Amino acid sequence: VKSSKDRILTTHAGRLPIPASCQDLPIRLHRGDAVDQDTIDSAIGDVVRRQLDVGIDCVGDGEFWKARNVAYYGAHLSGIEVRPIRQGEVTTTRNSTGERQEFAGFYKDMDSMGTLFFVPGEKPMPPDRDRMVATGPIKAKGTAAIDREIKAFKSGIERAGGKVEEAFFCVIAPGWLDHFIFNEYYKSDEEFVFALADALNAEYKAVVDAGLILQIDDPGIVDWWDMVKPAMRVEDYRKQIASVRIEAVNAALKGIPEDRVRYHLCWGSWHGPHTHDLPLKEIVDLLLQIKAQGYSFEAANVRHEHEWRVWQEVKLPDEKLLIPGVISHATNVVEHPELVADRIIRFGEIVGREKVVAATDCGLGTRVHTEIAWAKLAALVAGAKLASQRLWK
Amino acid sequence: MTAVDRVLTTHVGSLIRPEDLIPYFRKIEAGESYDEPAFERRLGEAVEQVVKKQVETGVDVVSDGEFGKSGSWSRYILGRISGFERSNEPSVPPMAGKDHRDFKEFYEEYESQYGYTGIGKGIQAGTWIVKGAIHYTGKTKIERDIQNFKKALAKTKTVDGFLPVVTPSAAVIAARDEHYKNEGERLQAFAGVMREEYQAIHQAGLLVQVDDAYIPGKYDVMCPPAPLEDYRKWVAGRVEAINAALSGIPEDRVRFHICWGSWNGPHTNDVPLRDIVDLIFKVRAKYYSIEMANPRHEHEWRVFEEVKLPQDKVLMPGVISHCTNVVEHPELVAERLLRLAHLVGRERVMGSTDCGFAQSPFARRVHPTIMWAKLAALVKGAELATRTLWGNRQSASAA
Repeated sequence: VKSSKDRILTTHAGRLPIPASCQDLPIRLHRGDAVDQDTIDSAIGDVVRRQLDVGIDCVGDGEFWKARNVAYYGAHLSGIEVRPIRQGEVTTTRNSTGERQEFAGFYKDMDSMGTLFFVPGEKPMPPDRDRMVATGPIKAKGTAAIDREIKAFKSGIERAGGKVEEAFFCVIAPGWLDHFIFNEYYKSDEEFVFALADALNAEYKAVVDAGLILQIDDPGIVDWWDMVKPAMRVEDYRKQIASVRIEAVNAALKGIPEDRVRYHLCWGSWHGPHTHDLPLKEIVDLLLQIKAQGYSFEAANVRHEHEWRVWQEVKLPDEKLLIPGVISHATNVVEHPELVADRIIRFGEIVGREKVVAATDCGLGTRVHTEIAWAKLAALVAGAKLASQRLWK
Repeated sequence: MTAVDRVLTTHVGSLIRPEDLIPYFRKIEAGESYDEPAFERRLGEAVEQVVKKQVETGVDVVSDGEFGKSGSWSRYILGRISGFERSNEPSVPPMAGKDHRDFKEFYEEYESQYGYTGIGKGIQAGTWIVKGAIHYTGKTKIERDIQNFKKALAKTKTVDGFLPVVTPSAAVIAARDEHYKNEGERLQAFAGVMREEYQAIHQAGLLVQVDDAYIPGKYDVMCPPAPLEDYRKWVAGRVEAINAALSGIPEDRVRFHICWGSWNGPHTNDVPLRDIVDLIFKVRAKYYSIEMANPRHEHEWRVFEEVKLPQDKVLMPGVISHCTNVVEHPELVAERLLRLAHLVGRERVMGSTDCGFAQSPFARRVHPTIMWAKLAALVKGAELATRTLWGNRQSASAA
């Protein structure tokens, strides 16, 4: 993971807007339709090109072409099926949070609009009637599926035509897959999570072997806090949920050099109140045990912006980097570059300027309007430039 | 209000109307008949409830939620003045400037879903035409609003109460004038008219809050191509009109609210506060409500590193944003208050919101449950800031 040697580098959390050329992609992927590979490669090319034009240093594939359904995971892992939901079941643990109970009226509106993000003009997906379940041993089905994805990204980079200094590729952590793939086979959830970890190891390796930076997406590490039933004390949550998942992620990272990995956590990107979020300080020491070099986390939205102060108390190990969110996906208002610079500088002053890579809180794609997503990335780059001028003056 | 020994809290004024009031406003807007006694009864109750809820939440300086206003925060005045006629010709959107041009697709989608500038659908369309001299005819309505609010205040304990009103410069800006010689003359007429409303509020012992989203918002419409200087000249004229309307009211009973438009849009062409702050402080008010919580203006607390806040003035920075559903963490609220208090003095900062939560009866910037959670976060954050600024002692209530 490149550090900010002589200026603040920029990146983002992964998801970017769907290019105009394939607006119908989400619904087609949702239905499991076959999609022409050339369309995807060329769309990735557009998105990479645009990141380079805006001035993003570490680019991604935009993730708009992946669905999180059985068509996708079934190609990667064995032991997964889909079945209709039964009375009282949810399709994702996101739908059984404490926050949902507290803000029942708000979530009722959200559900009836079919949105999590309130993006003007968005085309809501039909509500899920099924849930994914693990009904047999979870095993990797080789690396053919991930290899195809890596190939698509590389082909997109080639089509973009510019010089890409660094590129990252996102794969979900074992401890987050189990919020939408439900265990109906393993004796314990712990066993299930470790089986997922074992299966993911080959995929993680394939990403790194391809020369890409592996980004592990792991909102589960904090999101289970408001989902676990019955609610836990922080100490118990750390022991029973967080530590187990961190062990699992480290198991999945076995044999992978730490300096090729960045770890992304967030408190869930839906546009809700987030008043039940677990404070970063309750878990930061555990996060530092993860065998990753960089940490991407939310620090721009109003529930977590104050948490930059956590790093005043916690020492960041020498070899690690912070990739704080300085751009939020939870408002249409575009961050002022001066604000972006302020946010970067306060991290830089605590952990050292070369150890800060500026990013977004979470993916911007489908979280804000396409026009706004790109304007926000431009503000990120402009803000990083201001911060660099001040930090290297 | 007397000397304070803690960070007080307030907000910008408009709060989301109860569901059962909205059908009345739909009829009022559509010009249809409605059950007036039932509406008046329910309005009085609703004001009482919303005042009580603000107090229970811990807000110090409260409003009536602007529940009595139809139309919008500015166009309500059409129901309280003479001289205007409505025509069906489509109106020119007064706030569509560079931001609308730069984010064309976004605004098309946004406004088709949430109405013009996002203040809800159902506000009467068409153009307003000035056909004769403007006179104030709203005595009954303002007296009703004052009485509803005062009755509600009498039933509870607050630090103070304010009623928001539109400035002469922001009242019916999209109008076509067939009566006055020029804009200056019309502005003067509006100042005279608004003065009556301000006086009524002041004489009732309430704080007058004058609202103007058009002063900051006009920049995006004028510039470019106009240079900043032209715009500043335009602002200076507006400030004069506001002061004329405020004449006779002591500064310490006046709050001035500006914002760059409360729609949840990009706002990338907003005029920097630094470019107008001197003109803003020329408005004869003691309390200034300025957006500082949304990410386009959050950095502008630094303006006060360079600009000296004129003596005896108090800032009411927005430390809560209506442009995100995420509820501010009280620690963030405290941080925002503290950095400003360190610059201008702890007695001169009052915690507030960026803007109202409902600029019309049909607007809803966030869900009502989130609005109340945000106001609770404001109160909590102000308590944290107080602890830092005044030490850990139990703070006595002010006023």
